[in-house]
Amino acid sequence: MSFFKSLFLSVLLSLFSSSALLAQATPEGQNDPVLLQTLQHELGRAMTSLSKADPAPYFISYSGNEEYNSVIVGTNGALMGSINRHDRTVDVSVRVGSRDLDNTHGENRFNAVTTASLPLEDRPDAISRVLWINTDRMYKKAVQGFLEIKTNTKVRAEEEDSSPDFSTEKPQIFIGKASTPPKFDQHEWEGRIRRLSAIFNKYPDIETSNVVLVVTDATRYFVSSEGSKLVDSRPLIRVLALGSTRSNDGMELARSETFDAATFDKLASEQEMASKIEKIAQDLQKLKKAPVVEPFNGPALLSGRAAAVFFHEVVGHRLEGQRQRGENEGQTFTKMVGQPVLPKFLSVEDDPTLVSLGGVELSGNYDYDEEGEKSRKVELISNGILKQFLMSRMPIKGFEQSNGHGRGQSGLMPVGRQGNLIVRSSKSVPDSQLRQELINEIKKQKKPFGLYFEDIAGGFTLTMRDMPQAFQVMPLMVWKVFPDGRPDQLVRGVNIIGTPLNALNRIVLTGQKQEVFNGECGAESGSVPVAAAAPAMLFSEIEVEKVQQGHERPPVLPPPGVEKAEVASQSNVKPEGR
Amino acid sequence: MKRLISIALLLALSIVAFAADDKPAPAPATAGVSSNDHGDAVLKAMLAELKRSQDKLQLGQMQRPYYIDYQVTEIQDNIADATLGALRTEQVNNGRIVRVVVRIGDYKQDSYFGEGMGAVEAMPSDNDEIVLRRQLWLATDKAYKSALSGFTQKQAALKNVETESDLADFSEEKSSQSVHDVAKLNADLDKWKQTLRATSDLFRGDPNIEMSSAMLNFRVLNRYYVNTEGTVTRSGKTIYSLLFSGADQADDGMHIERSHGWVVVKPDELPKQDEINKEAKELINTFEVLKKAPLVEDDYRGPVLFSADAATSLFERLIVPNILGVRPDLGNPARTNGEFASYFKARVLPENFTVVDDPKAKEIDGQTLAGSYDVDDEGVEAQKVTVIDKGMLTNFLLGREPIRDFPHSNGHGRTALAGAPRPQISNLIFKADKGIPFDELKQKLIQMCKDQGRPYGYYVETTGAQLSPRLLWRVYVNDGHMELVRGAVFKQLDTRALRSDIVATGNDNYVYNRAEPLPSSIVGPSLLFGELEIQRANRTREKLPQYPAPALGTEKASN
Repeated sequence: MSFFKSLFLSVLLSLFSSSALLAQATPEGQNDPVLLQTLQHELGRAMTSLSKADPAPYFISYSGNEEYNSVIVGTNGALMGSINRHDRTVDVSVRVGSRDLDNTHGENRFNAVTTASLPLEDRPDAISRVLWINTDRMYKKAVQGFLEIKTNTKVRAEEEDSSPDFSTEKPQIFIGKASTPPKFDQHEWEGRIRRLSAIFNKYPDIETSNVVLVVTDATRYFVSSEGSKLVDSRPLIRVLALGSTRSNDGMELARSETFDAATFDKLASEQEMASKIEKIAQDLQKLKKAPVVEPFNGPALLSGRAAAVFFHEVVGHRLEGQRQRGENEGQTFTKMVGQPVLPKFLSVEDDPTLVSLGGVELSGNYDYDEEGEKSRKVELISNGILKQFLMSRMPIKGFEQSNGHGRGQSGLMPVGRQGNLIVRSSKSVPDSQLRQELINEIKKQKKPFGLYFEDIAGGFTLTMRDMPQAFQVMPLMVWKVFPDGRPDQLVRGVNIIGTPLNALNRIVLTGQKQEVFNGECGAESGSVPVAAAAPAMLFSEIEVEKVQQGHERPPVLPPPGVEKAEVASQSNVKPEGR
Repeated sequence: MKRLISIALLLALSIVAFAADDKPAPAPATAGVSSNDHGDAVLKAMLAELKRSQDKLQLGQMQRPYYIDYQVTEIQDNIADATLGALRTEQVNNGRIVRVVVRIGDYKQDSYFGEGMGAVEAMPSDNDEIVLRRQLWLATDKAYKSALSGFTQKQAALKNVETESDLADFSEEKSSQSVHDVAKLNADLDKWKQTLRATSDLFRGDPNIEMSSAMLNFRVLNRYYVNTEGTVTRSGKTIYSLLFSGADQADDGMHIERSHGWVVVKPDELPKQDEINKEAKELINTFEVLKKAPLVEDDYRGPVLFSADAATSLFERLIVPNILGVRPDLGNPARTNGEFASYFKARVLPENFTVVDDPKAKEIDGQTLAGSYDVDDEGVEAQKVTVIDKGMLTNFLLGREPIRDFPHSNGHGRTALAGAPRPQISNLIFKADKGIPFDELKQKLIQMCKDQGRPYGYYVETTGAQLSPRLLWRVYVNDGHMELVRGAVFKQLDTRALRSDIVATGNDNYVYNRAEPLPSSIVGPSLLFGELEIQRANRTREKLPQYPAPALGTEKASN
């Protein structure tokens, strides 16, 4: 009991001081949006009322998310459908116990948030009702979780990392502009999506394809019992093109392209999109006919885009703070702070404050993370030496504070995630010379050929302890480069094998131009928009094998509408009437 | 790995097919694909791709399909929800999907097993013939390959079990042509959203109610169906659902839930605001009464009266699943999956009951029935079926998968969205001879209790999930007054009770229209049971909220 009492006092004290701070910053808050005022008011009521409960919460936050979504999906020149949605939800987070040990400890972390739909209309008492009943439920869940954790930690052996469960941070106040429903000409865009998706019609070998427009305007209204108060909006416009087919031996082949921007005027032009879509369609057609790669170990060149994806998967994910603490995590880098993990000429930073790089907008840009912390640039690896991790408010040994990387999607507990991951190099040559460097390396190693990775797709990074310490990246476009001047040869089914640390130390040289890859990253806290940027990289050695997957034959009949042209080439269709 | 195995099986199959059969691959069914697209772009694309697949689909030397069908479902859900006067959800969900079934083998024994039960693909909303056909092409290819695997799986499974009967896998039926107009939403959504605001606002009348809402789902369901036997159908349906509900806790933590709703086929059958207000206010008032209502403490075994509303819920749970002619798993010798598997020609209800499932019935007592259709989702003409005749089970509701003694469909193969069609009810109508007015039933209840020396009997007005009573009244024998009670459950309310314990029935009808699992109706009278057991519910009671609810402003007259 005395433990609780002292805890209670300290919480109470910190609460008073932060609310005093809040009072100074915005005297009345009367000009705040109705939703924010309502969240704030109900949060105060919950904190006051529950302070008498045992155990009392030491932290509550409400994260309201108002989202307008428009989606248009097209395939082969026709619309599959369109969606227009307006949603308002709230994530209620309640912590009981103390910063040292609370209900979010260990595996229980993901039960520490509850989500509810809020009225779309600003009737404060109707909104408050929903907040109240869900806070009460979350509180009860938190109490139950905390009691279980207390019992478990008494029973279990000492944990390797005995860091607290929640960092102490200064409250943040920022009232930005709320976003309004997206303004764009739906009809015009439907036409554009039809036109862009029709490009695939020229390539009958491509089985399925889609072109999708997603317009999201989301405003977050965040209040916490520590005194944070935020309104910020994150518009995202994305055009996504996907194509897939199968080779005659059943290997699945896929290509995609994304075009991201915060505003329509920054989005790539239709012409630009069309030419890139044309390219992935042509790539697929070439891939379908390309030979399968044979096992190979030798020099390889990664394009900037491929290197960016490679670093996001292989380095970025392993630098997420919570990976250094979880009992089931691989902890590749946990004990390597201050030690070299990359060649000396490479540095890696994550900078969510960066809006664009080399004229390209970066999708991992944000002002405040999902825990309400201000985003900031973080030097992760400096001249090859590991400096720090991507931190949410869950501390790890040696890193007590958040560095503004607590990210997640609505409804899920934030964890340390990437924003804009940027790889910089001090040992580079103009990009035009890289190819020659690759050929030199091939000759030096007396290999019959080297590999050029034009494009790589990110996959699920296996960092769990019971899985092999291999990284999962899916090379999509890989070319054999010959030292004797023969033209490059496209191969398919390439799978990179080996462990990440080894591969990283075989980077010998980079290009100068940083290429940006914008995409969506999935992990335990859901899907978040990210960017990665890197120069092209030359590896002295990469080991590849043939991928093990896919045995479904391509369709028996040719697609409708191209029958006559195709009948002759389809050996398994009996010619009709001739 | 699974794929590797199925490939291996496929290869084995093709060898077996060669060895066993010197004849050329079986020719496609002679009936053939209809050429009449009724001027409809979707049907046109479906028929064109169906014809092409029937004529040409063959992988290597493997079997060609003997049957293919395409079912395109177009669904539009208009969903909205309001709480305490504020709109919380507004969504329009549109979708067009196709389910393709390819069967190889023959009617007697085919591939509709395991993987071979069809493929589903999204369809464009644009009526672009080539793109419609493209998606059909992809789905047909997938369905054909799964049919080849399904056929192998079936052959393998048959080796492990004894099959008693010689049932065909797929019944042969007459083809149908039934093309109706597609349906469109015929309601002013903005007006109805306003109704939701106004109705949910009424819950301010009792600020203690923890949660409340008023919601609607106006659904448009259009269906296109073609098969290689020559069937072409198109149908449209709208289902308008409106519901308000509340949830609260009594002082002892017991959850109290109430809801009231309407499900209608025609928008003009939706209630007027006056009626909604009246029902909502009545429902809101019961919360206070229910919270204070005495708990059922002691076991009761005696007469219980069910309103016609509560009776239809009983029938839904105890009769409906048992009259569906669903064939059990391979090797199981039972006639059906349900409890009535061995009750064919045996009594399942009192002798005064006759139960008819009638897809062609349009209305009862001026109320449109939700389960009406002409042709079922397997292209078979709907038939009126007397399932229970004078209390005796005489038939089952059947699709095209025969069960013992029932080799043919009776037009009840239905599916809600893109699932496999299976037998389902349409309009299931319970009729009882010698029905008496409800008041007389109530008098009878009182008389029975009096004769047995009881102070009161029970009357069930409405039920909730799992037949737990929501509005349960004690009817006192001294002056006939009624008292609401809470916290009760039925014990052993089962098919045996329905067969043996009903002593009298009402001459009333309650039309219970359902939107889920698919549009259907159950119609039945009130029931008096001679003996039923009611006992205290031993559910865990959650703690009351830790802190009081926020204050509510007063009811605002919205518009």
